[in-house]
Amino acid sequence: MNELENLRRWLDDLRATVERKADGLTAEQLAARSTPPSSLSILGLVRHLAQMEHYWFVLTLSRADEPQLYVADGDWDAQFRDAVADQAVVDEAFETWRAVRVRADAVLDRLEPGDLEFVWDADDRTGSVRGALTQVLYEYARHAGHLDLLREAIDGQTGE
Amino acid sequence: MSDMWLPPGEDPREITEQPRGERAVVEGYLRHYRQTFELKLAGLDAEQLARRSVPPSTMSLLGLLRHLASVEMSWNRRVLQDRMELERPYREGGDRDGAFNGAVATEECVAEAWESWRREVAEAEVWLDGDDYDRVVRLDGDEIEVRDIVVHLVEEYARHCGHADLLRECIDGRTGQ
Repeated sequence: MNELENLRRWLDDLRATVERKADGLTAEQLAARSTPPSSLSILGLVRHLAQMEHYWFVLTLSRADEPQLYVADGDWDAQFRDAVADQAVVDEAFETWRAVRVRADAVLDRLEPGDLEFVWDADDRTGSVRGALTQVLYEYARHAGHLDLLREAIDGQTGE
Repeated sequence: MSDMWLPPGEDPREITEQPRGERAVVEGYLRHYRQTFELKLAGLDAEQLARRSVPPSTMSLLGLLRHLASVEMSWNRRVLQDRMELERPYREGGDRDGAFNGAVATEECVAEAWESWRREVAEAEVWLDGDDYDRVVRLDGDEIEVRDIVVHLVEEYARHCGHADLLRECIDGRTGQ
């Protein structure tokens, strides 16, 4: 398996982990700040992961000319704060996240292994195709850690 | 984002030259998450480190430190060095969760965990330096490339840093990347 295939397989694994951690919960459970004093919730993290994938793959790698998701006017906390226990908000978040993944995969499908070497900002850890893809992968992993504890605090469910 | 753990200029994770190439990038991230994990434990006493601060989870920062020492040991010495006969640490009495269950609020337990983690990290760094990412190792009947194991190791660290984020916030309110 080459490096690009390996990174993409890990990304798909982590997306599936997030789906599992959110599976079978009500809107109220998904929006619960279940590990106080943290303001994180599963729903807030799903919105944040959609925002992150969209930013890196759709806006940065494929240069789409559209606004960032959930952070209008630079209000970074809105993605978490506005993750409220409303079924319409839940449905929108999951639809948006899944749609972003389809668009992100279309971007990644066009990459050849050699494209990982492409650098657009030599002073930034994430200023290359390899750096951006790796950053998304590990940001997913860190948030999966948050989801582990958020989910366990909601209904006791644990696991990979 | 401005939610960093330390102000610019004081963060030991800052680097002056950006890594390029597969190995430099993934090992840069490995170093970054090891340092991040270490920072998340900084300044706490034994009681705080051993506290199960996000109930009902049985995790504590000290338990994570012991678990990661065991993770480093197992991937490096058992899998990469092909010495599966070596026992993983912290599994006295066959308790697979012994790293967490045996994490108690004593200075001895804390000192042993740091020593164990630092020793395993140092050993893993030396071994990985001389290993080949295309090499294939056998594990439970599967064939795995070294590159896959390294990416997995960073993924595991990043996920445990997520656990450490919430454990720490619930101990003293401190947050940050």
